[in-house]
Amino acid sequence: MTVAAGIGYVLIALGPSLSIFVSVISKKPFLILTVLSSTLLWLMSLIALSGIWRGFLPLKTTSWWPYAILILSSIAFQEALRLLFWKIYKRLEDTLDAFADRVAKPHLFLTDKMLISLAGGLGHGVAHAVFFCISLLTPAFGPATYFVDQCSKVPFFLLSALIALAFVTIHTFSMVIAFNGYAEGNKVDKYLVPIVHVIAGVLTLINLAPGGCTVGIPLLYVVAILTLIHCGRMVWRRLLTENRISLNHS
Amino acid sequence: MAQRQTPSTQTPTLLDSLGEEIVRIVAPVSICMFLVVILVSVLNSGDSSFSVSSIATIAYTETTSDSSWDKFVGALLNSLAFVVVVTVATFLLVLLFYFRCTGFLKIYMGFSAFVILGFLGGEVLIFLIQHFSTPIDCFTFLLLLCNFAVVGVMAVFMSKMPILVTQSYLVVIGILVAYWFTMLPEWTTWAMLVAMALYDLAAVLLPIGPLRLLVELAISRNEEIPALVYEARPVNVENLDPRVAVARRRLWRDRRATENSNLRGDANVNVDNALGLGANAELNHGSDSNRNDPSLAGEGAVLDSNLSSSTSYGTYSDRNLVRAEEGRVQETDSEVTTPLIGHGVNVRMHSRPEDADASDENLMLEGIGLGSSGAIKLGLGDFIFYSVLVGRAAMYDFMTVYACYLAIIAGLGITLMLLALYQKALPALPVSVALGVLFYFLTRLLLEVFVVQCSMNLLMF
Repeated sequence: MTVAAGIGYVLIALGPSLSIFVSVISKKPFLILTVLSSTLLWLMSLIALSGIWRGFLPLKTTSWWPYAILILSSIAFQEALRLLFWKIYKRLEDTLDAFADRVAKPHLFLTDKMLISLAGGLGHGVAHAVFFCISLLTPAFGPATYFVDQCSKVPFFLLSALIALAFVTIHTFSMVIAFNGYAEGNKVDKYLVPIVHVIAGVLTLINLAPGGCTVGIPLLYVVAILTLIHCGRMVWRRLLTENRISLNHS
Repeated sequence: MAQRQTPSTQTPTLLDSLGEEIVRIVAPVSICMFLVVILVSVLNSGDSSFSVSSIATIAYTETTSDSSWDKFVGALLNSLAFVVVVTVATFLLVLLFYFRCTGFLKIYMGFSAFVILGFLGGEVLIFLIQHFSTPIDCFTFLLLLCNFAVVGVMAVFMSKMPILVTQSYLVVIGILVAYWFTMLPEWTTWAMLVAMALYDLAAVLLPIGPLRLLVELAISRNEEIPALVYEARPVNVENLDPRVAVARRRLWRDRRATENSNLRGDANVNVDNALGLGANAELNHGSDSNRNDPSLAGEGAVLDSNLSSSTSYGTYSDRNLVRAEEGRVQETDSEVTTPLIGHGVNVRMHSRPEDADASDENLMLEGIGLGSSGAIKLGLGDFIFYSVLVGRAAMYDFMTVYACYLAIIAGLGITLMLLALYQKALPALPVSVALGVLFYFLTRLLLEVFVVQCSMNLLMF
């Protein structure tokens, strides 16, 4: 629908992540590299999933359960990947601390570790947005637009941009929650993240029903906002306890 | 009342400066790829009826009506011809360098830069003017183009220009050549990319490889190879005392010798070397008089305002230099300032596309390496071939573009890590091109169907 609309869709999906990138991540080169590597990891997981599912596609059924299996298996795979990411990050953290000792710099602070997990989450979110939304936007830069049957009131591109925005939020902040949960050994946080991911994925199944997107997308945003609030509260709590500890020591 | 300060505002932590050198190389590569993709998608919206004849199509001209097997064999022949020409040109270059004809080489470099900027740039600009129907008259156009080309030649070969101008012109040269290469037929492009990656591997690692000979010649003579190379942070060598510049190069060789002879049983050390990419040995300008003076680091820090965050690295590198000059290199500090030594492919290039006859293609590129100033260098040929890969992916769809971009950046990162690990000449093309081609075909065959199927039903995860 013209270049302006195309750019608009891109900014809807990626606007907040762009602002996070410019304000927080671009200042520290290591975080840029973290974003790139987590984006690559997500892409590789997506390619692996598509390799596994290639034989069954295109699914020509109108029932919902093949899609449910698709989504559940994909989410299980990606959560396993998140665990792997955490293990790699632990090893990296030890190496970085040892390196910091050698160059007589302080060890990684809590804020540094949270920034790294934020960058990792942002990488996942941006990868989702890019591959599920932006890469399909090429026709949107032209003169026409496209509607899907299940949701025939709103252009398809706008729908996918909105869903992508919700998922970017979910991915970014659930990575912070997850890393914090693994670091503290907090069971609630550790299990909350996969559950949130599954709920979000299953909510998109509602979009299969005609007119379902009017229900599915707002619910998805509710989940995203809940993730955001939980992450904010958790970070606030940790920073307060950390500062209280450091004040007591000094 | 106790003041609460967040730790990150107090002292600069490791996160502030680690990986800076890598980002300084990844950024211009990304910009080059991005602009080539934009050019390709804007100008190639129709079918490319403009076929380019050059060395790369000397053996076979691909037409859409040929069978797949014909296209495959034709592409192989084309790429073989291209590699043969490139090999011959590189050996010629080695010969000229051996006979110390550096003046001739420099003039040739300048001439090819002028031709690329003037003729190729002019052609791309004409395409753009045609596409957007910009009103401009030919005299203005010629004047602007001529100025642009002349300033470009001066920027590339004189070190008195601002760094940003030199770097921008190098990126522009890369963009123009890459765009021209994407106009080759499809199968030929892919075959050529793979062939060039294999050639790069052979030419740098084999003992008879021309590039290896060239690099060893240059190091043994303590000279720089005249080449189109993108340096992440070039230093103005004329301001320095010549003795310092020479001493630095000698240090580079000595350090390589001492480090190679030292046993490295500790696996951590190698990883630390890889992480030590953030440091650079640049802060050693200053007078030759009192090298032991710690205030030298401060002087160096003032001289280069870019390095505000890495002044601490500068102190270490300076002390390291002092000790190396005296012949004792300490192991502990050398991890911070590990020089990455690697000069890769060296092939020379210039092209005249408006000529209907097959034009000579000699590409002067150098793989990843460390300049004598300590900043990471990447040959322009690597820029060009990465952008050709991504440009070709753009001709199919944007999903392949994103996948190939990530693959190439990953390959670049892996190559830099390997460089820090192996401490010898490494080619920059093979890993990135292999990953890029792999991801292109995987995306095209597997990922696209999956993602389109999910997205059309508004199912996402």
